[in-house]
Amino acid sequence: MSTAALELRGLRKNFGRAEIIRGVDLVVPRGERHAVIGPNGAGKSTLFNLISGLLSPDAGEVKLDGVPVTGLAPYQINRRGLSRSFQITNIFPRLTAWENVRCALLWPAGEKYAFWHAADRNDKVAARADQILADIELLHRRDVPAGILAYAEQRALEIGITVAGGASVILLDEPTVGMSHAETQRKVELIRRITQDRTLVIVEHDMSVVFGLADRISVLVYGEIIASGTPAEIRANARVREAYLGDEEQ
Amino acid sequence: MSSVPAQLPAPARRRPGRLAGKGIWLAAAVLLAVLPFLFRSGTALTVMSLMGIAIIFALSYNILLGQTGMLSFGHAVYYGLGAYFTVHAMNAAVAAKLALPLPLMPLVGGLAGLGSAAVLGWVSTPRSGTAFAMISLGLAELVGSSSLILPSFFGGEEGVSTNRTRLLHVLGWNFGPQIQVYYLIAAWCFVCAVLMYALTRTPFGRMCNAVRDNAERVQFVGYNPRIVRFIAFSLAGLFAGVAGSLAAIDFELANAALFSAAQSGNVILATFIGGAGHFIGPVLGAVLVTWLQSMLSDLTDVWQLYFGLLFIAAVLYAPGGLAGLIMAHRPIWRAGGIARLIPAYGLMAVPALLIFAGAVLAIEMAAHLAGKPEEGSVIRIAGLACDTRSWEPWVLAAAALIGGSVLVRLTWARVVAVWDRALDAARAKGYTA
Repeated sequence: MSTAALELRGLRKNFGRAEIIRGVDLVVPRGERHAVIGPNGAGKSTLFNLISGLLSPDAGEVKLDGVPVTGLAPYQINRRGLSRSFQITNIFPRLTAWENVRCALLWPAGEKYAFWHAADRNDKVAARADQILADIELLHRRDVPAGILAYAEQRALEIGITVAGGASVILLDEPTVGMSHAETQRKVELIRRITQDRTLVIVEHDMSVVFGLADRISVLVYGEIIASGTPAEIRANARVREAYLGDEEQ
Repeated sequence: MSSVPAQLPAPARRRPGRLAGKGIWLAAAVLLAVLPFLFRSGTALTVMSLMGIAIIFALSYNILLGQTGMLSFGHAVYYGLGAYFTVHAMNAAVAAKLALPLPLMPLVGGLAGLGSAAVLGWVSTPRSGTAFAMISLGLAELVGSSSLILPSFFGGEEGVSTNRTRLLHVLGWNFGPQIQVYYLIAAWCFVCAVLMYALTRTPFGRMCNAVRDNAERVQFVGYNPRIVRFIAFSLAGLFAGVAGSLAAIDFELANAALFSAAQSGNVILATFIGGAGHFIGPVLGAVLVTWLQSMLSDLTDVWQLYFGLLFIAAVLYAPGGLAGLIMAHRPIWRAGGIARLIPAYGLMAVPALLIFAGAVLAIEMAAHLAGKPEEGSVIRIAGLACDTRSWEPWVLAAAALIGGSVLVRLTWARVVAVWDRALDAARAKGYTA
């Protein structure tokens, strides 16, 4: 029996007296594409911040490949193979698209804080950065500063930075927010392609994305997971329909 | 691995040829070598020596400001400590009759700068932004005041002096004449500039830029931004220490003025006016600011006022500094459209000169009235006698200022239109930078 890629046990987080995450248990097996859905303010982004180390939980445990990472700094968790994207585009605006991707490749390539040799000489890293840009369809914008890319291009770059380092667990926070229908379809294809053979946890509001992409779905409402299951099970779950999906599926 | 062909072909990889890069450095080395033959006066030699020191200092500051996005108000601390340790090392070497050559003394300053920056940076670099800036200011005050508390090391108000000619002579050079000191400074300036440029190209240097752009995101690609800031701060201290060391050799003196707030302010001004966004920016800024300081202080008593105005103008109208202005012209230059800008710039020069003349007249008369009323009411500006107590020169100054401003308003749109057309033409030819 293999260990889960990501495991949350009794995770809790309060902001002052407000309980935002109220005891979340979640097990995501290796290779699964898992969607977390829920109404606004349910705590989805907070949950991502707890997993990725931006916030530390008040109680509970986060395990990555069976190893506890609770309370570690984001860069430590990242080095252990978890990478995340952000709901608000979070890139390096003055660096070119290519340099943005390369930033995510330097640590995994073992470059660390080296200040005694040139970064450009690492041809493996350069080739990999080109490959990632090709995957996210930004190769023709390689030398453009990321800050002046179009919104959809920046969103693609956000994902490119997230997956470039080769992390085995990928967290994507609303990757299609603010996109047109056509862009969303392309984005789903892109996500499906680049998360091949990896574990994906995705927060998403667009139900067509969720039901098209996810192997399993968890529903987060007021800091608690009220249901977890396959898309068919979630669709059929009366409590979920009442709390969240409402009538939009009918 | 599946990959979708990009809709458009990727632009050719733009790797500046190693040859072209080396050519620029070769030209810089030749320039440093021949400058004393082009500008032969003693004053020129003194000023060029100061420029070399200022270039190292400003480049070291830009490791923080331009490369890593750290606004330090206390960079002169490492400059000053580099100078003091060098002076003490020189005096100790002479006293102990150690055969140490003077050209290696900047290593002492560099180590002092590195060590002190590592200690003080340990305190300040866990924070970024405003908190870092405030801590740097506090630490600068702390070290500045300790110079009076520890007179045995800092030499009180007069500082600690030394004699550079008493160290081991190298190849018959005793470093008494200024020309020999100039070449010592020029050589160190060249080496430090090459090293600091190379630093920007390393994995660490690239991550400095990433920390500058978005320190939060850096944490999610495996890097600890605190460590990046700490290394940047320490290395900036190292090169500042070398600069301070050269200053001590040049002046044969280390005193509290070297790590004063004014010195910290100067390097910010030089870096900003030159342009923090490009490697060459601080070099231009250091040269310009050093030149202005030596030239303006001869011309006018209120030279610092002009200096302040220049800084404000740079912040307001050229946030990219001189280098930013020059680089903005690059696509137009490469597309061969620069000649089209000349008439527009000529048009703009008229109101600019009017405003400049009006401002100078008003400032000089006001400074004279407020500062030296005992010298009578008449001053000479550019050969013109102006009576500060009569109304005519004041009206003239006001007319130049107002007239110039009105002309700027009238012509600005035309200049902008010419600029936009030239830039569009350059972009249409594929030159974006």
